[in-house]
Amino acid sequence: MRIETCYFCSQPCYPSKGITFVRNDAKLFRFCRSKCHKNFKMKRNPRKLAWTKSFRRAHGKEMTVDSTLAFAQRRNVPVRYNRDLVATTLQAMQRVTEIRARRERQFYKNRMKGNKERDLAADRKLVAENQHLLPPQYRDKVEEVLKEDAEDMELEGEAEELEDEVQQKVAKQTLKGKRKQKLVRGQGVEEMDVDE
Amino acid sequence: MAVRAAFENSNEVGVFATLTNSYALVSVGASENFYSVFEAELQDVIPICHTTIAGTRIIGRLTAGNRKGLLVPTSTTDQELQHLRNSIPDEVKIQRIEERLSALGNVICANDHVALVHPDLERETEEIIADVLGVEVFRQTIADNVLTGSYMALSNQGGIVHPKTSIQDQDELSSLLQVPLVAGSVNRGSPVVGAGMVVNDWMAVTGLDTTATELSVVESVFKLGEGMGPSAINTTNKDTMVESFY
Repeated sequence: MRIETCYFCSQPCYPSKGITFVRNDAKLFRFCRSKCHKNFKMKRNPRKLAWTKSFRRAHGKEMTVDSTLAFAQRRNVPVRYNRDLVATTLQAMQRVTEIRARRERQFYKNRMKGNKERDLAADRKLVAENQHLLPPQYRDKVEEVLKEDAEDMELEGEAEELEDEVQQKVAKQTLKGKRKQKLVRGQGVEEMDVDE
Repeated sequence: MAVRAAFENSNEVGVFATLTNSYALVSVGASENFYSVFEAELQDVIPICHTTIAGTRIIGRLTAGNRKGLLVPTSTTDQELQHLRNSIPDEVKIQRIEERLSALGNVICANDHVALVHPDLERETEEIIADVLGVEVFRQTIADNVLTGSYMALSNQGGIVHPKTSIQDQDELSSLLQVPLVAGSVNRGSPVVGAGMVVNDWMAVTGLDTTATELSVVESVFKLGEGMGPSAINTTNKDTMVESFY
């Protein structure tokens, strides 16, 4: 019994699951569940729906060119049964899955590499562009801190949570006023989460 | 040797069996009667394989083959393909074809040198046929029927075509195939000769209804009678064979 993959989402269709559509040119369309079948009937393109495998492949989210993927193909020329061959094949299958898992992990790492830096840069830009939203007394300080930090960053080359830091520095300078208020209310001299 | 047989009361022997010079495929029936007809003739000569194709018994119409190869349709399961590979000799190539026309026995008619195929067959399929069966492939119709495999029974010695094939068509086909052809019927007048019988160079099996006249035509055109076997070609019949061929 061959475990076919779903035409729409490419997940395996086990026996007794899903439904098969046979077009009049004898092409088989296997669907793993009614969700996929309904989407197919609505003539949706699986490459445009983010939850399908074909979307992920088309958008560079998964490995598409790799030697380990070539093993899972339908073969039209059979090979005579040979006990040794079966044994080695079984071993090879395990090995291939291992290699493939490792390559996939590496692929994911490469894909995610630099995300932190990008996010940070975006945050920095956001703060720089929206200075007018901050209270007037913070504006210059933010710019100073940004400059300092930018220099530090380049020297150290480390990605830190800049926005938090900026706000902490700003907060420390204004903390005294708030403490006074708190003492008056009789709540003690606790540290407040000014960040949030 | 031409014999009559029936598969579960059906005359269409060519539907339930495939016979070539190097192997025979027989479908799985309720009784072994049909199988034993082949076994009686071929037991120690060529392997006879019980099989299904895509879970069906109409293996003769779904497969096409000759001495060098066997073609099975895309609907063949992996298990059946493996079973075929394990049962028939290693030198016979087996290949599954991804082709819209999946009844390969109906659309391909082949002996060991030439194949006549359905005109609508895909180009890739044509190449695979030439490759696996080691034949020259011609797109042909037989008496305006596109199903060459159904309306023609062919061996290396000769062939029978649809009874209404015109003389010109017969001449054309026979010059293409380089074997003598005759227009005839099997199973008491059935025109589907390809589905009504199976034949190789030593034996033919036809339906139980085949008349004595039809059987004698079969024996003469396929050269199956006594002293007309393949071994006779090199000895007794050599001179006449060569003359009749040219």
